Amino acid sequence: MSTADADVVIDARGLEPPEPMVRTLEALERLAVGQTVSVLLPREPYPLYRTLQINGFAWETRFRDDGAVEVLIKHQSS
Amino acid sequence: MQALLSFDQAPPFTAPVRFFVTAPLFAMLAGVLILFVGPELFVSRWTATALAATHLLSLGFLSQVMIGAMVQILPVVAGAHIPRSLAVARMVHLALICGTLLLVLGFLTFNRLAFISAAWALGVGMVIFIGAAGHALFTVSSNNPTIRGLKLSLLGLSGTVILGLLLALSLSESWPLPLPQLTALHFGWGVVGWGITLLIAVALVVVPMFQLTPPYPKWLAQTFCPLALLLLALQTMANLAGWSVTADSLASTLATGAALFAGETLRLQRKSTRPSFDVSQQFWRLAMACVIVASALWMGLLWLPALAEQPRWAMLCGVLIFVGGFMSVMNGMLYKIVPFLVWLHLQNLCRPGEMAPNMNKVIAAKQITWQWRAHLGALLLLLAAATLPNGFAYSAGAALLVANGWLLYNLLTAMVFYRRHAARLTIASENDGQQ
Repeated sequence: MSTADADVVIDARGLEPPEPMVRTLEALERLAVGQTVSVLLPREPYPLYRTLQINGFAWETRFRDDGAVEVLIKHQSS
Repeated sequence: MQALLSFDQAPPFTAPVRFFVTAPLFAMLAGVLILFVGPELFVSRWTATALAATHLLSLGFLSQVMIGAMVQILPVVAGAHIPRSLAVARMVHLALICGTLLLVLGFLTFNRLAFISAAWALGVGMVIFIGAAGHALFTVSSNNPTIRGLKLSLLGLSGTVILGLLLALSLSESWPLPLPQLTALHFGWGVVGWGITLLIAVALVVVPMFQLTPPYPKWLAQTFCPLALLLLALQTMANLAGWSVTADSLASTLATGAALFAGETLRLQRKSTRPSFDVSQQFWRLAMACVIVASALWMGLLWLPALAEQPRWAMLCGVLIFVGGFMSVMNGMLYKIVPFLVWLHLQNLCRPGEMAPNMNKVIAAKQITWQWRAHLGALLLLLAAATLPNGFAYSAGAALLVANGWLLYNLLTAMVFYRRHAARLTIASENDGQQ
């Protein structure tokens, strides 16, 4: 997975909880198999990982130099 | 989405919430005690009734909220899971309630059995909590300042509990221990080692997250919690060795550090990208202002004999720390944590494609604003009562009772909201299943 390939990019920095989670969930509801969502956050989203695990998504977390955390998500089957 | 949370890992809704709902009841009891005792309670912090009121607030209100918050935030901010969190929460909650009530009874009656029972209940409850939270935390790596701060706050709590148990047993068994010196150490470990360390660790996450501010500077985030515990340990050693100037200098450094943290929080708040301050931010702003004033007053008490000789200054400092500082922050945080939990657990019950009701609808903004005003009024009256007990003691007690009754009402509103929507969502899911 790479950022450039992401089909949907959600910049959730500067959003108050639970807005980052709401927007991510909404994007995942619409995500087709083979597509990728990139979520930018100010910190590691531990609760999101559990949600992804339960609902059959695969993810990769990257720690950027600017302090942001990027989570790339796709269906496990893709 | 099928589900947000796996219940084998995330704490159930009632695990943290039981602590939050119990906390205002203890502050209400403190209000009743002030109404019952009157101006005498404010004469000195060493009177039995003042010690009872202090523990109703510090152990009954603050530690209930802090332990409840830790049960909730460990998995969220640290990815650390307390095994069998509901069973742990039930046992710790019950032990804390019984222990606090027995301790207060001990102070009010000087009954030996009450002190011994309080020591057992609080000791067992705290050992279970520290063991469970410690086990969860020490399984995750300390890769950020918040996780390190949470671990250190457990050390601070351990120190507070050990000193507190020693004091309770000294009172019940008449052990020849230096009680004022032990009390000063117990206070220091409770306020700095447990309270401020946990507050900083949590603030590093929740201030930028909920108040939309830039992050705390790296130097502060990395150094404050470890430095606070190190200075506290050194101060304890200097105190026990009888090096009073060194001990007071270290205590002054800790007070300066607390004021610096509060000043930095106020500076960050001014950079918030919110169009206007919400009530939670007002609670934080009030708390940080109180921390700065209390720090200055604490240093005055350490270095100016004229201040230390008059008990009302120490009383004023206590009100600023416990009600102005910690209680304000806890109020502000509860109005973010509880609606968020309600939303999260309702979302978990939603069918695919369905969204839970908006978080802002859980407790009406108007109710939160009125409770904020009641809290502010109670603080001002308590400060007035610490200065002029005869004029303000009864109104301060009544105001504390009202402010916390209101907080309880607001929290119960959130519970009712949760139950109503949870029932609706569960019925909808069952109907879907039958079709």
